[in-house]
Amino acid sequence: MQKRGRLQEPSLGFLEGLGLQFKPNGSKLIDSCLNADVEILYVRNSDIPQYVKYGVADFGIVGENVLAEKKSRLKVVEKLGFGKCSLVIAVPKGSGVKDVRDLGEERIATSYLNILKSYLMKEGVSASIVEINGSVEICPFLNLSDAVCDITQTGRTLVENGLEVVAGVMDSEAVLVCSPFLNKEVVDCDFINLLKPKL
Amino acid sequence: MKKDGLKIEPKILKGTRDFTPMDMAKRNLVMDKIRRIFERFGYDAIETPIICPADTILGKYGDEGDRMTYNFDDAGGRRLALPFDLTVPFARFFAANYRELPLPFKRYQIQRVWRAEKPQKGRLREFYQCDIDIIGTKNLIAESEIAKVIVNVFKELGIDFTIKVNSRRLLNAVLRDLGVEDGKVVDVVRVIDKILKIGEEAVVQELSDLGVVDAKSILNLLKPEKDFAVTLEKFGKYDTGEVRDFFRNCEQLGIIEFLEFDPSLARGLDYYTGIIYEVVSKDCGFGTICAGGRYDDLCGLFCDEDFSGVGVAFGFERVMLLLEELGAFDEIQLNSKVLVTLFDEESISDSLSIYSDLIEAGINTEIYFEPVKLGKQIKYADKKRIPFVVIRGSEERDKDEVAIKFMTSGKQKVIPRSQLTTYLLNYYESKE
Repeated sequence: MQKRGRLQEPSLGFLEGLGLQFKPNGSKLIDSCLNADVEILYVRNSDIPQYVKYGVADFGIVGENVLAEKKSRLKVVEKLGFGKCSLVIAVPKGSGVKDVRDLGEERIATSYLNILKSYLMKEGVSASIVEINGSVEICPFLNLSDAVCDITQTGRTLVENGLEVVAGVMDSEAVLVCSPFLNKEVVDCDFINLLKPKL
Repeated sequence: MKKDGLKIEPKILKGTRDFTPMDMAKRNLVMDKIRRIFERFGYDAIETPIICPADTILGKYGDEGDRMTYNFDDAGGRRLALPFDLTVPFARFFAANYRELPLPFKRYQIQRVWRAEKPQKGRLREFYQCDIDIIGTKNLIAESEIAKVIVNVFKELGIDFTIKVNSRRLLNAVLRDLGVEDGKVVDVVRVIDKILKIGEEAVVQELSDLGVVDAKSILNLLKPEKDFAVTLEKFGKYDTGEVRDFFRNCEQLGIIEFLEFDPSLARGLDYYTGIIYEVVSKDCGFGTICAGGRYDDLCGLFCDEDFSGVGVAFGFERVMLLLEELGAFDEIQLNSKVLVTLFDEESISDSLSIYSDLIEAGINTEIYFEPVKLGKQIKYADKKRIPFVVIRGSEERDKDEVAIKFMTSGKQKVIPRSQLTTYLLNYYESKE
């Protein structure tokens, strides 16, 4: 699960809800469950699909937006109902852009290169993509882009930066994914037993 | 220049063709895709000469093949021939070099071949073939790999296809068992091979003419059933190990869904001895787009050693026709992505530096050679299907900006000069 960020707390809550007990996490990257043969790996959000894909972790709790960006084909066991957010395209207020189709040939800044590309493909819009890892919302102000494609929960950050949403790209929430190498027959741990009916 | 002003007619031979830049863009696109797949499986390229001593080409394809082979005397009185296919030149190459080559030897070869026959649609006198072969192993993994290469090539090209598979060994055993004399097996196979072309009834008639007693029941036995297992069951009394093992390998390779076991598949050529393939497009009317199989001792003509091999030839020209029909080239472009215009005499140095920057960034770019009216330069871009036209006039110069004109939408956009290279490098072209 996420090492730090908005998904960590509800992720732990989800595990506790299954009856698993953990000590409050310090700076440890691997943590053992107190009452079951389960370990938690705390890693970077964007690395979670990799850990699960390689079979280093049997399960992962991660946002659908991260899965989509990593083009992950991991099996989703369950949608978890927390960490809800939307990936949207926003433009400076008064720019005259009404629709994603108005963004043809414009510059769009994003941290979600792959999701944006497949969205533009679907919409038939060609554009120049400015890849930025954080604080994407400042790009239009700096004349580095004409629009942004970014995550929003309440929409407040966008408004604060004078941006308005013109298109929704995807809705996302946290999901439980499992490794393709997970062998239900030989791996015998409590976590799997708990989830078995859902696998 | 001819003094009398009489010009030579710029003609080409019937059955040959010129390829325009647009033709070549399409052909290179397809060839590159095919080549990349061949290379992914570890095949290396070879080429063999176009003009060959006639005795290395003639006499290998039967009388009809010889008749269709271009051959002529050169100025030194040597009899020369042009390759009829790539298989015989490859066999000659291998026989001459096998001591130095890694064995088993895998090669691909994409070259022109020549046929002296009456040209028809999709059948020229000069055309390309794309061959792969593995020589020096009898293991069925080689057959399975070839099938996987075929699957990857046609998936990459976006063609819907089926690979029909049979075992020549099995077919021969069945025919012998059903009373076809050894000397007639080859002729019977040749007739069965025509089943799609001339129909079942005509095949039965021709088989009867060959003295086959119960042609109808032979054809019934050879007819493929609904699925692999049911078809195979019909051959319970024969040795079907080869077919089983091949299909099992293919299952492991994840390509079983593309295969169809067709016991009536014959492939006319005599030299096949084991698994044979024939790939047909599901978009009908195009016939076979790839074919081949296992052969023993193809090099026997050129050396004493006994080598077994397996290979297929892709019908490049048919694939091109099919892709054209499927609309695969509708959005094809030529090489230039950007035209840097010359706004006026004063802007030439600016334009040269922009042009140089784009070239150095790896973007296919050209510069217009004369500071003529912009409309004329844009017309040039249009004719070459160049998608981006860069304009740096006095107004842009004053603000250190550039204007980009998009030839597909007609839109124009002004961005800082400093962002031009990244803008173009990061341009994502959506193709609906």
